[in-house]
Amino acid sequence: MSQLASAAYAPPALDRLLEDPEAPAAAQAKAWIAALAESGPDRDRALERLHALLLRAARFELGRRRAALDKVRGEELEDLATQAADDALVAVLAKLGEFRGESRFTTWAYKFALLEAGVRVRRRAWQDREVVLEPGGWEWFADRAGPVHEALERAELLDALRVAIEGSLTEHQRRVFVALALNEVPIDVLADRLDTTRGALYKTLHDARRRLRATLAEQGLTVTAEEDA
Amino acid sequence: MNGDAELERLLGPREREVGCEECFDLLDRYVELELEGQDVDARIPGLAAHLRGCPACREEHESLRALLADDARGPG
Repeated sequence: MSQLASAAYAPPALDRLLEDPEAPAAAQAKAWIAALAESGPDRDRALERLHALLLRAARFELGRRRAALDKVRGEELEDLATQAADDALVAVLAKLGEFRGESRFTTWAYKFALLEAGVRVRRRAWQDREVVLEPGGWEWFADRAGPVHEALERAELLDALRVAIEGSLTEHQRRVFVALALNEVPIDVLADRLDTTRGALYKTLHDARRRLRATLAEQGLTVTAEEDA
Repeated sequence: MNGDAELERLLGPREREVGCEECFDLLDRYVELELEGQDVDARIPGLAAHLRGCPACREEHESLRALLADDARGPG
């Protein structure tokens, strides 16, 4: 069977198809999936091409986030890119059956490398920083309280929000809200520290935000003019 | 009624939004539709709101857009 596949997607044909910018996306996707699903030399070539593609995406992401990595040297950066591409390759292969052809195969694959690289950037940037889960001295509010008092409405809102954070959230919601929203801890970093997932944390943040909005609304306070539909 | 961007950031989107996993599942299609100039909010509701509320997903969205634009420019 793999010989049949090899004949259908002989290396030069596969390469030509994948490099042809005019080739239909569906045909390219089919060629990628077929080559990756089989064993043999076609698969090896496809894996090599895919890894190169993912490495390019990972390097691209690290380049964009260079400012967050100002203490990271060149070889460590390259190491991070390679690790991201390696893990993205594993993820792409594991999820191959979920590709629905709703985008180009390469666009679909890119997002795995961008995710892996982005997570590494955020973790690396925060590896020596403390993750504060408690409001403490409410520095966030204190920092914004000075000249802002020109806007009385805002001062009232800030005060009501501080009280709502303390009084209307569960302990877990408050810790997650304080870390993610007030202290702007990256969600992947917090997920690592709390041994949970990005999705679970965002759900908690979402619930906390709704609760806070509702509590403010009960007091006749809204942050924008429009009400929820 | 103050339109305060910072409080808006804290309190997140007001509209219904997808979660992080669903965002990741839809992101490739969303970005391609965006680059085609389609009405992405109508085609994939809830994703734009999530991107406003989630900085990590927003970074990934911006990067995928930028990477596809870079590809489209071609080498050199």
